[in-house]
Amino acid sequence: MYEIISSVKRDYIIDLVKQGKRIDGRAIDQLREVAVELGPIKTANGSAKVKLGKTQVLVGVKLMHAEPFPDTPESGVLIVNAELLPLASPTFEPGPPRVEAIELARVVDRGIRESDAIDLDKLGIKPGEDVWSVFIDIDVLDHDGGLIDASALAAIAALSDVKPPEDEDWKLPGFPLSKRPVAVTVAKIDDRLVVDPCLDEERVMDARLTITTVEDGSICAMQKGGTGYFTREELEQAYDLTCAKAVELRAKIG
Amino acid sequence: MIHVQNREIVVPGQLIAEGDYQHMDGSFREGDKIYSAVVGLADVKEKRVRVIPLQGRYVPHVGDLVIGVVIDSHQSGWILDINSPYTANLFVSELVHRKVDLNREDISKFLSIGDVVLASVKEVDEYMRVLLETTERGMGRIKGGKLVEISPAKIPRVLGRKGSMLKVIESKTGCTLAVGQNGRIIIWGDDPKMVNLAVEAILMIEREAHISGLTDRVALMLEKEKSGGV
Amino acid sequence: MEKPEKLIVDGKRLDGRAPDELRPLKIKAGVLERADGSAYVELGNNKVFAAVYGPREMHPRHDQQPDSAVLRCRYSMAPFSVEDRKKPGPDRRSVEISKVTKEALEPVLFLELYPRSVIDVFIEVLQADAGTRTAGINAAAVALADAGVPMRDLVTSVAVGKVDGTIVLDLMKEEDQFGTTDMPVAVVPRKKVITLLQMDGHFTKEEFRQALDLAFRGCEKIYEVQRQALKEKYAIKEGE
Repeated sequence: MYEIISSVKRDYIIDLVKQGKRIDGRAIDQLREVAVELGPIKTANGSAKVKLGKTQVLVGVKLMHAEPFPDTPESGVLIVNAELLPLASPTFEPGPPRVEAIELARVVDRGIRESDAIDLDKLGIKPGEDVWSVFIDIDVLDHDGGLIDASALAAIAALSDVKPPEDEDWKLPGFPLSKRPVAVTVAKIDDRLVVDPCLDEERVMDARLTITTVEDGSICAMQKGGTGYFTREELEQAYDLTCAKAVELRAKIG
Repeated sequence: MIHVQNREIVVPGQLIAEGDYQHMDGSFREGDKIYSAVVGLADVKEKRVRVIPLQGRYVPHVGDLVIGVVIDSHQSGWILDINSPYTANLFVSELVHRKVDLNREDISKFLSIGDVVLASVKEVDEYMRVLLETTERGMGRIKGGKLVEISPAKIPRVLGRKGSMLKVIESKTGCTLAVGQNGRIIIWGDDPKMVNLAVEAILMIEREAHISGLTDRVALMLEKEKSGGV
Repeated sequence: MEKPEKLIVDGKRLDGRAPDELRPLKIKAGVLERADGSAYVELGNNKVFAAVYGPREMHPRHDQQPDSAVLRCRYSMAPFSVEDRKKPGPDRRSVEISKVTKEALEPVLFLELYPRSVIDVFIEVLQADAGTRTAGINAAAVALADAGVPMRDLVTSVAVGKVDGTIVLDLMKEEDQFGTTDMPVAVVPRKKVITLLQMDGHFTKEEFRQALDLAFRGCEKIYEVQRQALKEKYAIKEGE
């Protein structure tokens, strides 16, 4: 099931972008209103709910005992899972994760893993037998575009909310989170780049680019989506746009 | 006897009237009691009881003006999404008002997937199969304008009694509106500020449809914004 | 969790409640943008969302009913909703709850008004604390009304049970796990008829009757909160 965008709406969005305007009145480089709620779920070790415009995403972090990977016997394990809940959109059906959910989880995972945001080496318990595994579960509750950005922000907010489990095998003073990678997406509409596309803009765009950066502005993950293309100049432009916005989003975690 | 105030907000299962009353839309009868079936405004006129729903999907009725989006085509016409549990059929002869030789003409030149069409409901059968026609002036494929979608339940308020609300919006913004019963509205206007103002008015109506005095409040808001923006 | 020695001490339950007392209950209608109708319920530490899509076109077409809408229900728990992380995806318990939930809601819906269509109800438990299926049904009923689906009445649900020989209302986690009997019930409040009934444990006939009385009394209170939630969405705010 997918929704067809009407030609009237498509033309309207493109006309606006040509004038440097957007369908919801934002500037080209403006994020939607962001709200971050820390710790709504007590059954999780850490949790966060993010509202990005009308999009709502909830992330829960659970710390569990697990067997380590054979080649890293003393390192914790990171697992990111995403569910595009049927509550969130008429186009999401119950069933096994669709390709968009898998991409979403893997992009969020990449941002956290490649930046070494979590010091997994500190999460060993008994070498070769028992380590802490960090499960990050993303639940998309309401879909109005920007799912990767909202999910990545909620994930890092949830990690920053983690209270160590009451378990004698937990020896650390807190949770070893050293960086806060933030993902920001730009969409290409009619040869212009707009930041944080809403759902209508996503339906019209030629392509999108998500760039995940950490505090010092270095890039730890990127993902291009959509069937269009980007020029090299557009990539540079995208980096400038997203890096600045990542700073804004990071500040919302507090 | 009536158990609620007129225009009171009622919920499903709420007792509205008891005795010799006729139950209409949004209500149902059990024995000699009439209850609300939906969340809405209780409306009692003389001996007729109904509930004006504040939410709900659009169910097509013959004669309704609708704004549809083409989602598929077939041999002799197109299937349109009309923001309803039911899709609608538009035969090519209903669109172009002449006989079309399907062997000679390629009908895809008339409408493409994603095109927006202003039409009216010609027929609805008991299986909810819907046929559209474009007999009035201005109907057919729509180009340009801004498309707004609101809850179909609020459309009567956008029109107003005898079109009074619609007149207010059009006169104060200088825009032209096509209002579909199925919750879709197209706004045409030369000044984008005025188009956005018309959108503001529509969204305000959607939010406050259940509060009386709406026409005056909308007129006031439009005046304020117009003079404020000058 | 270790079994506590006593579940009722001096007439009070482990969380201080009397046997016939509900946990704190909060209900909000219209909490999601995309869904046609939605609701959020907090019952004790349970946090549950319900969303309704429909009536809408039913696919596949051969599942359509020519003279009525089809009601589909999905009850699901988020992986982080329970102490031991739950793997995503339906398990047998969720499948059963989805079925009895659908059968609890269907009797009040005017399905015949929407032939060939489907009404989808999605319940997602974000935080679980015993009684999730009852919280889910309470949320689903409000979400259906919020979507404008015509109904004869709301459906209200609560669990009753027996712990330490006492009949109690709205079981908490320890009572659910270590008590003698657990009986979730759903009723149509106006007609006082029962649309969901499950039970496991032990009841004499007299205890069953008492438990049912208690369930109806509990549902009356929950019903009021459901109706308020729907009306509150349209309450005229200060200054208007």
